[in-house]
Amino acid sequence: MTAAAMTERPAYAPPQQYRLTFVGELRSEWTKLWSLRSTWIVLLCAVVFSGGLGALISASVPDEAAVGGADAALSFAMAGVSLSSVFVAVLGILTITGEYTTGSIRSTLSAAPKRLGMLFSKALVFGAVVAVLFTAMVFATFFMSQALLSGTEIGGVSLGDEGVLRALFGYVGMIVYLALLAIAIGAILRNSAGSIGFYVGVIMILPQLATLLPWEWVSDVVPYAPGNVPNTIAVVDTSMGTLGLGESWLWMGIWLVVAYGLAGVLLKRRDV
Amino acid sequence: MNDRAAGRSVVGMIEIEHLTKRYGKKTAVDDLTFAVKPGVVTGFLGPNGAGKSTTMRAIVGLDAPTSGLARVNGKHYSEFRSPLTEVGALLEAKSVHAGRSAYKHLLALARTHGIPTKRVHEVIDLVGLHEVAGKRVGGFSLGMGQRLGIAVALLGDPAVLILDEPVNGLDPDGVKWIRLLLKGLASEGRTVFLSSHLMSELAQTAEHLIVIGQGKLLADTTVDDFVSGNGKARVRVVSPDAARLAEHLAGPGITIASPERGVLDVSGTEAAVVGQTAAAHGLVLHELRTDRGSLEDAFMQLTADAVEYRQTMEGAK
Ligand SMILES: Nc1ncnc2c1ncn2[C@@H]1O[C@H](COP(=O)(O)OP(=O)(O)OP(=O)(O)O)[C@@H](O)[C@H]1O
Ligand SMILES: [Mg+2]
Repeated sequence: MTAAAMTERPAYAPPQQYRLTFVGELRSEWTKLWSLRSTWIVLLCAVVFSGGLGALISASVPDEAAVGGADAALSFAMAGVSLSSVFVAVLGILTITGEYTTGSIRSTLSAAPKRLGMLFSKALVFGAVVAVLFTAMVFATFFMSQALLSGTEIGGVSLGDEGVLRALFGYVGMIVYLALLAIAIGAILRNSAGSIGFYVGVIMILPQLATLLPWEWVSDVVPYAPGNVPNTIAVVDTSMGTLGLGESWLWMGIWLVVAYGLAGVLLKRRDV
Repeated sequence: MNDRAAGRSVVGMIEIEHLTKRYGKKTAVDDLTFAVKPGVVTGFLGPNGAGKSTTMRAIVGLDAPTSGLARVNGKHYSEFRSPLTEVGALLEAKSVHAGRSAYKHLLALARTHGIPTKRVHEVIDLVGLHEVAGKRVGGFSLGMGQRLGIAVALLGDPAVLILDEPVNGLDPDGVKWIRLLLKGLASEGRTVFLSSHLMSELAQTAEHLIVIGQGKLLADTTVDDFVSGNGKARVRVVSPDAARLAEHLAGPGITIASPERGVLDVSGTEAAVVGQTAAAHGLVLHELRTDRGSLEDAFMQLTADAVEYRQTMEGAK
């Protein structure tokens, strides 16, 4: 091919005004999240579950059992919130494994070939949605539960009491942490069933089962398991836990760095 | 290739250099080198499993080469500041979440680059999906999915289009439409690179051809040259002395195949030469004719040794 033949047709200039940006990726992930029916269904389940179970339990606590201070009050109120972290985690996993199982990841990563932006924008958007939703849920559930518990010994817990506000935000922090962990697991395993199985089995159940084992070192290690480290941040009286408040946050950070580090390296290295 | 020799890259040029891709032990693409130029439609031809899709995935950075390079405009795809306006790709199979609508799928991709919704509507209209844009993609037919894939590829109005079997699943109207569309896009100076395993399909759309088999380059030529070069002059001889005739005909540049006993297909020479050779050695001929051969024959001839999956009942060879 000669240079003359090469210039036979005018060169085409593509539009210049568009750029791939991280903000763009955030908006894209936002669009993707809300354009799936499963998002609405699962989040609705999470809301109904956390509010409903909190109300149900608070309403049915017999007076003689309603003792033990603020932590007892919160554990009744937040029973549903804790359990609905499973919904949130499953949804987090699906936001990424759904892309792999359907093949839409090819479109996504053709538009954003540096890849890491996809992972972090997914995590950021989902984390923010969960944070906002569960802040609302945690406080709504708290006030509802207190109303139902009024007249009992643990009915007079107020936001102003020491540690209560912090513990309530602790619940939000815990759920957001678990949601982010779930996304990283999904990014690492890329398979819906495998990731959900791993989350339920290894993150949720294994640490509980492990405490049944006879070896002492196991019970020393169990508080540091990824599913257990946020426990301290969601209690009013933090003196009981193995991990202190600061340690709890630190370990949540460590596990997220480990999970996202691994997810990021694999995302960069593997073929899509 | 003056421009490449000078180390410059032409706008829209796709360059594949010594590309090798292995999946475990399986070598999908084997030391492939070729370039795709702007302004023409280039067909990418090869039998099933030849490595076409793998090469295309390597160009858009989805699969990392085991060795070698796949570049566009002299850059690796991930270096582009706005990938969607540089390269638009339709990769094989649906690359869409089945639960999302066509519109939202396009919108989500557009948002990464700040492409306005107006453009999303434009491409939806362009590919004729207006009626179903709000429906979940899971219910789309193969052809509708393919149209959506083409809409995605066109979204950024890119300089380079990479389309993996775009005609797959389209009805005759759709096939005609995409042919015109692609020719039109190429005539605007864009690079259009499309794969197919049907020679006849490409012959009507493409000007240039890259043919591969088992991951290796078999031909890099214009369609015209390919047809006249490969589809030309195959001499069919029927003779009771076929074996002896074959011995006498054998020589450099001449290939002889025997599809059945007593029949020879000779290429690289002419009927007259075959007749003379037979006469010179006193061999009897029952039939002597020149087969022009179709494009499909030319392609099959070229890839005969490189076909990955063949039926157990083999055709002529
Ligand atoms: N992800 C993968 N893992 C393992 N092997 C793969 C992978 N992708 C492709 N291959 C193998 O590499 C070879 C080339 O495949 P490829 O899909 O590129 O062929 P193709 O030319 O697109 O074929 P077709 O015309 O059937 O689409 C095949 O043998 C295929 O099995
Ligand atoms: Mg293919």
